[in-house]
Amino acid sequence: MTAGRYALHLDFEACKACGYCLLVCPRKVYAPGTAFNKRGFRPFRVTAAEACIGCLRCFHVCPDFCLEVAMAGEGTNP
Amino acid sequence: MDRLAKRYLRSRKIPGTTCSGCGLGQVHKKVLLAIEQLGLGTKDIVWGTGIGCAGRQIFNTWKGDNFAGTHGRVYALATGLRLALPEERKIILTAGDGDAFGIGLLHLLHCARRNLDVTVVVADNFGCQSTGGQYGCTTPRGYVTDSSPYGVREPGWLENGLDILDMLRDAGATFLARHSSFEGQSAVDSCAQAIRHKGFSLVHFIYPCVTHFGAVSLQSGDKARIFRWFEGLFRPEAGNSGDPRFRSGVYHDAGSSRPEFASSLKEWTRTVRREAAGRD
Repeated sequence: MTAGRYALHLDFEACKACGYCLLVCPRKVYAPGTAFNKRGFRPFRVTAAEACIGCLRCFHVCPDFCLEVAMAGEGTNP
Repeated sequence: MDRLAKRYLRSRKIPGTTCSGCGLGQVHKKVLLAIEQLGLGTKDIVWGTGIGCAGRQIFNTWKGDNFAGTHGRVYALATGLRLALPEERKIILTAGDGDAFGIGLLHLLHCARRNLDVTVVVADNFGCQSTGGQYGCTTPRGYVTDSSPYGVREPGWLENGLDILDMLRDAGATFLARHSSFEGQSAVDSCAQAIRHKGFSLVHFIYPCVTHFGAVSLQSGDKARIFRWFEGLFRPEAGNSGDPRFRSGVYHDAGSSRPEFASSLKEWTRTVRREAAGRD
């Protein structure tokens, strides 16, 4: 999802809904999920991408390689 | 999948079979970020794994060459590999706390004594979690586990003034670091230093087991509560005497103060061959 300086991509099928991204985000970019994926988890959602400051805390704590933070429009990583 | 998984890991292994909230992927990610930071590719590294949660989940995820060792013996296999491989080829070993500080400790100490050029990543989840949550040699004293219903009574490697990293330093290890799997760039930097280091390097990661240590020892499956408990472990003001709290960062860096085992043995072999050829 792109709505600011950073593009956030959360892989819906890979997410195991641990919620660490929500816990560490200082800007409330994430919210609990509502839909189930094929593995039976309810992945978290990016609901406020425009608030992202690119601190990468969520990226560092995501244990399932399902979260990517990139510079919007460039595809490079902050 | 993120860019690290696409570039370095086998797609059929990602996402892995770890429990939701398990920190093992956080540990793996820190090492992959260090590899990316150093500009290394899949052909530059051979990856070995041990047994248990850490061995099973990390095994065969690496797109390049990899192998699994028997319990606690991955260091012995790596010693042979180190002698056979070109010096520029890196060897990274991911092992659990039992693989490193329990059944594998003697092999690990000899690896440090020889100053073998390998990087050991210890993924420590405070016990034997893959077998059902029994206590191990790093489980904090007093905590209830599946095999200690009244709390662990024996001292672990990380309390009462003991630190397993001290023993490794005394055995000859030339680079040691410790981090929580929840840490960010500082942990990546330590991993990068360890991989770049010519000699024995070890990064000790503490990571959360939600299913056993969390649910039984911390009496909560709530990941937010478990996260805060782990954050508290690494409070910078906390020492390491009498409780399981410790500091993170580089613990010991002896640089190139000791000769590396494989390169010195190869040099010695060349010398002997030259002398033998001179006698003929």
